[in-house]
Amino acid sequence: MTGDLERYLVVGAILFVLGAVGFFTRRNLIVLMLCAEMMLHGVSLTLVAFSRSHGNLEGQAFTIFILTVATCEAGLALAIILALYQKTNSLDVELWTELREADLPPPTLAEDAGLPAFVPPESQVFPTLTPAGVLPDVRRARASGGVDDAASPTADSPLEPPQAEDVIRTAVR
Amino acid sequence: MDWIGQHWLDWAALFLIAAGVWWLMPRARARPKAVGVLLALAGTGMLATRVDDLSAPLQETALFWLFAAAAIIGAVLMITNRNPVYSALWFAVVTLNVCGLFLLQYAPFLAAATVVVYAGAIVVTFVFVIMLAQQSGATAYDQRARQPLVATIACFALLAAVVGTLQYVAEPHRGSDDVAGSLRDSDVPQTLGAGSGEPRTTDSETLRISAVSPRLGETRLEVGSNPFSQLEDGAKREEMGRMHALGRSLFGDYLFAVELAGTLLLIATIGAIAIAPRRRGGTL
Repeated sequence: MTGDLERYLVVGAILFVLGAVGFFTRRNLIVLMLCAEMMLHGVSLTLVAFSRSHGNLEGQAFTIFILTVATCEAGLALAIILALYQKTNSLDVELWTELREADLPPPTLAEDAGLPAFVPPESQVFPTLTPAGVLPDVRRARASGGVDDAASPTADSPLEPPQAEDVIRTAVR
Repeated sequence: MDWIGQHWLDWAALFLIAAGVWWLMPRARARPKAVGVLLALAGTGMLATRVDDLSAPLQETALFWLFAAAAIIGAVLMITNRNPVYSALWFAVVTLNVCGLFLLQYAPFLAAATVVVYAGAIVVTFVFVIMLAQQSGATAYDQRARQPLVATIACFALLAAVVGTLQYVAEPHRGSDDVAGSLRDSDVPQTLGAGSGEPRTTDSETLRISAVSPRLGETRLEVGSNPFSQLEDGAKREEMGRMHALGRSLFGDYLFAVELAGTLLLIATIGAIAIAPRRRGGTL
């Protein structure tokens, strides 16, 4: 198995298979998307190698379309992932096993297998900001600061004063 | 069985990479990382001794294996890292190395476009979403893989099938003369179509040509679905590296597909904006 074409095909196949392994085993939705993109990398490499081996440019043109479709896929998938995250506050894909077919048994989750619960070690706890001083009173500043009501945010705007204070409190917390 | 015995080194190499992947998978009790990386590296090196093209120039071979090994190791580390931010960064490493392989294959425009699109846009978007959605540090679902052993065995069985097929096709004693002789000797035209022998023979010859993977400058394909992307013999190597041949192919043969791809991008943009969750006030 010696040849300029074959070694590229082998590397492309390895990238594809590694992406597939990651897609099957990982549980984080974002890592799943990254693994799918890596499978596309393997396919692109195969197409480019075939393109050079055959001496024409069809494989490279296909790869450009793969690039386009991958971009669309990433944009849509990240929007969907954000929507899913806002429903469950988690990126775990196993929270969505309810979507399976009605006649399939529930999958065995890792937490049900008698393993101890995960406690994040000290090194993986992210630092948080310390609260700094008193919160500014946005309403009073707005009443005395001469901001006219016509240009001020309407009731639907997220930046009206009470909500702005909530935002600041959340950030501080 | 004899054939399997001749190629045990390939299967051993694939088994080493698979063992490295399985070793590195996130699980309840962490294993030392260096062992898995060494296993995968040893497998890649073993595969390199088997697959290597001894007739190619030394610089190209060295560059190829540099990029290929970095891509494979980066991919193994990407799918096994417990922190999704590190996974995204390893994915950028894989992308850059794949772009290096593109450059070696006379595709400089593709290499540049892939760097811009993947490493520049997609990875940044992924990191943004990770930071938006995962603000509380390490999470439980990143620490446990789902069925790591079964998934590794299944996927590497697929890889072994692909590599085995590749070897079976590309073995030296099954060169083009051999295949051509066996095709000519066998009565394929008679079994396929009654009577018309001559056109059937040319059909099977074109089939053979496209199955035997012609090298650059060695054989020229008579049948091309695509007149623009067929290059002349002499200038092939120089033409492949230039952008204007690719542009002519893209905006000549694939003009309709390019327009379609633009429409797809527009629709995907609209869809992403429509799907993206928003708060009450309309902001994201």
